[in-house]
Amino acid sequence: MSDITQKKMEQIAQMWNARGKGLITHMALEIEEVSTERVRVRMPFNPDFCVDAEQSLLHGGILTALLDSVFGLANFVAIEGVSTMATLDLRVDYLRPARSRADVIVQAHCFRKTRHIAFNSGSVWFAGHEDAEIARGTASFALTRGETSLFDAMTKGKTS
Amino acid sequence: MDVQTVNANVSRVPFFRFLNFEVRSLDSLHAEAEMTFDDPHIGNPIMEYYHGGIIASFMEATAAIAVQPDFADVPAKPINLTVDYLRPGVKGPLFARANVTRKGKRMASVSVLSWQTDREKAVAEGLYHFLLV
Repeated sequence: MSDITQKKMEQIAQMWNARGKGLITHMALEIEEVSTERVRVRMPFNPDFCVDAEQSLLHGGILTALLDSVFGLANFVAIEGVSTMATLDLRVDYLRPARSRADVIVQAHCFRKTRHIAFNSGSVWFAGHEDAEIARGTASFALTRGETSLFDAMTKGKTS
Repeated sequence: MDVQTVNANVSRVPFFRFLNFEVRSLDSLHAEAEMTFDDPHIGNPIMEYYHGGIIASFMEATAAIAVQPDFADVPAKPINLTVDYLRPGVKGPLFARANVTRKGKRMASVSVLSWQTDREKAVAEGLYHFLLV
């Protein structure tokens, strides 16, 4: 984490842990590793996100949501001076049935950033089973740059 | 398959209850559903926009129902998806209509459109593949 400033780390913690409402709070995400190279996040098992009565098979959609969220974090960390960020498109391959009550790990990075667009890819697996990826995703994000930082926009509502 | 029976199936799926939607209409190649806005659906807490992943999940759920409305245990198995985000999903109901473009013996392709107040102003558009075996 050496290349991330203390201020940025504090901002990340504030955005992710002090949001109060919303899906990221509900998913109870924990940041495990963060650098401009890659981010790794853990989602604890949550029975709300299952499709079966026994509650041990995760719905693919939650993995998609997880990838989308972690791509956003990867971009926030990797790109300076962004004021808004919107997902343009997202592609997800479900590689295996997500059947487990283990925590879910997502690792993502921004592999190309331009003035207007960021490109991301990421992988999802159950904790302890890195060799058995359950999903893989790629996405592109539209960026705007301006006076108000993304952090201010997200925490103080200064801009859309 | 009537809409009440499908909604009874929907209410048995924990994640579908979390999404909080109801199937509004159904025929052999289509399904239309309406999702109620809820705080855990929020992606941007300041603007109170839907999280993109929730929109994609709701579209996937609607697509799975169009493919297999009579699912017994779990909904149709998804293979992959692509979503285009066209407008922010603002606080309020979100609609989705899934069209089964092809349903073979092993695979199905489904295209899904989601919108809010105006069907012409799509919030997102997606393509979903399902494995039927």
